[in-house]
Order: sequence, then structure tokens, then C-alpha cells
Amino acid sequence: MTMPVTIIMIEDDEGHARLIERNIRRSGVNNEILPFTNGTDAVKYLLGADGTGLEHKGHALLILLDLNLPDMTGIDILKTVKQNSFLKSAPVVILTTTDDSQEIKRCYELGCNVYITKPVNYESFANAIRQLGLFFSVIQVPPAA
Amino acid sequence: MAPEARRRRTLGQILLLSAGFLVLVAVSTSSVLLVNKARSDNAWVVHTIEAENQINALLLEVRRAKSGARAYLLTQEQEFLRDHEAAVAAVGPVLDKLSALVADNPRQVENLARLRNVIETRLSQFGREKALVASGDLPGAVALVRGAGSAESSALIGTTAEAMRTEEERLFALRTANADASQQLATMVTIAGSALVIVLAIISVVLVRRSARARDEAEVRLRESNLNLETTVDERTADLREANEEIQRFAYIVSHDLRSPLVNIMGFTSELDELRNDVFRRIATLARAASSSPPPAEGAEPELEGADRQLSDDFSEALGFIKSSIAKMDRLITAILNLTREGRREFSPVRIDMRELIEAVASTLAHQAAEANATIRVEPLPILVSDRLALEQIFSNLIDNAIKYLKPGVPGEIVVRARTKLGFAIFEIADNGRGIDPKDHHRIFDLFRRAGTQDRPGQGIGLAHVRALVRRLGGTMSVASELDQGSTFTITLPINWKASNRNSER
Repeated sequence: MTMPVTIIMIEDDEGHARLIERNIRRSGVNNEILPFTNGTDAVKYLLGADGTGLEHKGHALLILLDLNLPDMTGIDILKTVKQNSFLKSAPVVILTTTDDSQEIKRCYELGCNVYITKPVNYESFANAIRQLGLFFSVIQVPPAA
Repeated sequence: MAPEARRRRTLGQILLLSAGFLVLVAVSTSSVLLVNKARSDNAWVVHTIEAENQINALLLEVRRAKSGARAYLLTQEQEFLRDHEAAVAAVGPVLDKLSALVADNPRQVENLARLRNVIETRLSQFGREKALVASGDLPGAVALVRGAGSAESSALIGTTAEAMRTEEERLFALRTANADASQQLATMVTIAGSALVIVLAIISVVLVRRSARARDEAEVRLRESNLNLETTVDERTADLREANEEIQRFAYIVSHDLRSPLVNIMGFTSELDELRNDVFRRIATLARAASSSPPPAEGAEPELEGADRQLSDDFSEALGFIKSSIAKMDRLITAILNLTREGRREFSPVRIDMRELIEAVASTLAHQAAEANATIRVEPLPILVSDRLALEQIFSNLIDNAIKYLKPGVPGEIVVRARTKLGFAIFEIADNGRGIDPKDHHRIFDLFRRAGTQDRPGQGIGLAHVRALVRRLGGTMSVASELDQGSTFTITLPINWKASNRNSER
């Protein structure tokens, strides 16, 4: 990666968060991973203190998002990110247990870049995350405008 | 209206009609009888007048005979004698006629007998007078005429005839009155009968109108109660639909949320597996170091020995059970998710040529059928208006089951046929497979339940899913089967299904 990309992981299940982090690390990605366990904190961080997202200007962000959060749905966060002029260029990877086709369609319509369903089978799960890590290691992320 | 009252009313109308008819018959009969009576009464009146006429004629003839006799006595001319003779000759027939006329009345018969006697006495007096005149004894004849005898018999003729006339007049009056009475009676009977018929007709009309009104009211009530019923049914349906949706949502959320912890359990179990490998590798290395045996070749796994090996195997076994259980749980959760997703899918009725649809289903299953040595025969099928995807799932599940559960060693034969009845199409999917024990017929439609030898992969979802779909399409399904006798699944579906029937609010 040409510049330090911060991976923002919004995942309420700490076990999942741990497994994701482990597998990303295993694939050789050493970027900073900022974990959030609820939507409110994540949104607060993303939009910054002034609520405009200006704080992240010039930073490269990659968002890993779970749809089922205790305080809001991931779709709300996705909307917020994609409607914010500073954040909208940040790639959003949705990693969730929901495999409802309507939901998937909706996420892509709202501008999500990758949609991954968490497989229960750990081999597949670990494999998917590692692939994602490889993807992260080659992806070009633009800095927030 | 209570059925009792309705029956009574109908009975009343029938009775009324019969009564009217009876009255008509009675009126007609009595009219005929009374007219006949009036005619005979009139005949009797005429009869009386005739009798009176004859009496008068008789008296006339007697007078003619008398005046003829007198004239002959005065003039001794033969012309008057002939007159007299003619009158006397006429008296006999007139008397006979009269006696025939009055034969019915004993009093007149008696009178007539007396009259006949008197007339005969008088005629014999005439005879004697004529004899005296003929013998030239004119004074003798005159004396005879002047004598008390002739005057007496003449007076007697007068009184007797008068008596008869009086009698006939009495009869005349009587019979005229009779005739009048019967005519009046006939008129009255006719009028009364007609009046009765009219009254009955009016009552009948009133009753008919009343029952028509009652019917109209009942119709209105029926319509109202129908409306009420529909509203009630709609309310209940809405309630049920709500409850059903609640369950669907519940099932969806539960199965969905069960998945998250399952990912963790599976994930960390696998991590544990990795840890186990590390731990036992280390134990093996340490054990080997302790026993100072030569180190293993580079890259080779250190071997465990004795109790350590046993421990490792136990560990593996436990982890294996956990993993397979998790895998099973995941399959079940996925199945529930798919079912609830199907339950939430909106159905859209379209026109479907069932034969085409089932042949398409059969062709997608052709490979499996060929492997199982089975043939699928599709008989002519009707055209339905229904949801295409649901029908495809129903029939592909059933045909797939038929292929899956064939009798080993027997070429499979699967037939799809249908008939239509009262707006419903009845489909039958029959096979010659291994069949289903009748005690399992209910069980096979339950979620996650299966029957018979468990030698085929499956979750026990297909038939539960099929039945749910059939129900949503407004149909029913059943199975007829015996062990080793093949199975026949019967599905009844409405030919013209409308989405509003069941899932308009989905």
C-alpha cells in the first residue's frame, strides 16, 4: 500500500471482530484496524466532532461494516458514509451474516463496494477474510477529498 | 323466517287453493242441479196449465153438446143433431187426455172420476132426450130438459169442474212458487259461490304478497349477514395474517441471530484446533527431548506416544463432534431462513401451461432420473393462473422426492396427471417407489421430520415447504401410500388463483 490506510471495523460481536482481525493479520496486512462495537460510536468517529467528516480529509479509510448492530442498522451507516462528501470515496466492505438477496441488492444500490456473507464454516470464513486481506493489500484507496 | 312457519305458510296456500277449487266445483254442481230443478218445476207449471186447459176444453165440449141438444129439440134439424154428436164424440178423448194429465194427483183422479160419472149421466140424459125427439114425443123431451135431473147434473158438472180447476190453480200457484224458489236459490248459490271464490282469491293474493314481502326481507337480512360474515372473515384473516407474519419475522430474526454466535463457536473451535496442534506438537517435542531419542527428520511431525497420543485423540474427537454439530445446526438454520424467506416472498398470479412447466421441471431433473433409472411421464395438464415459482418448487420437490426414494433394483416410473373439478385442478404425482408407512403420513409434512430408511441426504424440509406453498396458493395436499407400494401425492389447487386471496398484505 502506498499510503497508510486505516481499516475501520464496525462489528458488534467481539468474537467476530477478533476472528476477522486475526485472519486479516494472517494474510499479512499490517494496517491499523480501528474496531467499533456499535454504530453510534462509529458514526461519531467517522463524522468527527463537527459532524461533517472534515477531520478525515486527506486520510485513506476502508470501512468494514456489519449490518446487524445493536443501535442501528449497518445500512444507515452506509447511507451516512456515501452521502458525506468527504467519506463517499472510501471503499465499504459489508461483512455480515445476512444473505437476503433484497438486502444485498439494497446495499449495492446504496454504494457498497463489496458484500460478503460470513460463512459459518470456519475454513470458508477464514479463507474469505484472508482473501479480503489480500484484496486490501493491493487495493488503491483514495484519500478523503 | 323459521322453516316451521314457512312450511305452514306454504301449506296454507295449498289449502286455500284447494278450497277455492272445491268451492268452484260445488257452485258448478249445485248450479247444474238447481237449473235442472227449475226446469222441471217449470215443466210442472206448464203441466198444470195444460190440465186446466183440458178442463176448460171439456166444459166447452159439454156445453157444445148441451146447446146442440137444445137446438135439435127446438128445431128438430139434423144439422144441430150432428153438432151435438160431434161434441159428444169429442168429450171422450178430452176426458182421456185429462185423465192422463192428472194421473199424478190422487185428488184430481177422484174428482175426474166424479166428473166422468156426472158427464156420463148428462150424456145419457141427452141420449134419452134425443130418443124422445126422434120418436116425436117433443113435450116429453121438453119435460125432461126442464126436469130437475138435467139441471142438477149440469150444475154438478159445473161444480166438479170448478173443483178441479181450483185444485189446478192451487197447484199452479204452488208450482210457480216452487219454480221461483229454485231459480232464486240457483242465483243465490251462484252469487254466494262466486263471492266465496273471490274472497279466497283475495286472501290468496294477500298471502302471496305477504310471503313475497317476507322473502324480500329475508333476502335483505341474508345479504346483511353475508356482509357481516365477510367482514368477520376479513378481520379474522387479517388477524391470522398478522400472527403469521409475526411468526415469520420471529423465525427470521431468531435464525438470523443464531447464526452470529454460531460463527464464533465454529471460528474459535477451529482456533482451538490449531492451538491443540501447537500444544501437542510441543508436548511431543518435549517428550522426545526428555527421552533423549534422536530428533526427527527436518519438517516431519513429532510422533506422540502412549498416554499423550490418547489425550490428543480424545481432544480431536471432542472437537470433531462440536464441529459436526455446528455444521448440522447451520444447515437447519439455513433451512428455516429459506423457508421464512419463501413465506415472505410475494406471489404473483400468471397464466401457466402446467404441462410446459412440469416438463421443464422434469428436464432439469432428467440427469438424476437417468442415474436412478427412472422415467417421468407427464400426462395432459390444465392451464392455471397461479404463481410460477411456487408451482415449480412444489413439483420439483415432489418429483425430486419420487426420484430419490425409489425401490432399489426396480426401474422407477413417475407419472404426473391432473383432472379439473369445480374450479380446482387436482394433480397427482404417482411413483412406484418404496412408499411411506401410513403411520408416517402426517410426520413427513412436519419440518425436519423424515420417514423410512435414512439413506438419502436431506433435512426434512421439502414436503413441509411444499405444503406451505400449496396452502398459500389456496390449495390442499395429501398423500396415499403403503410401504413398498409406491406413493401418490395429490395436490388440489384453484384454477384461477387471485393474489388477494391470501397474501395481499405481504
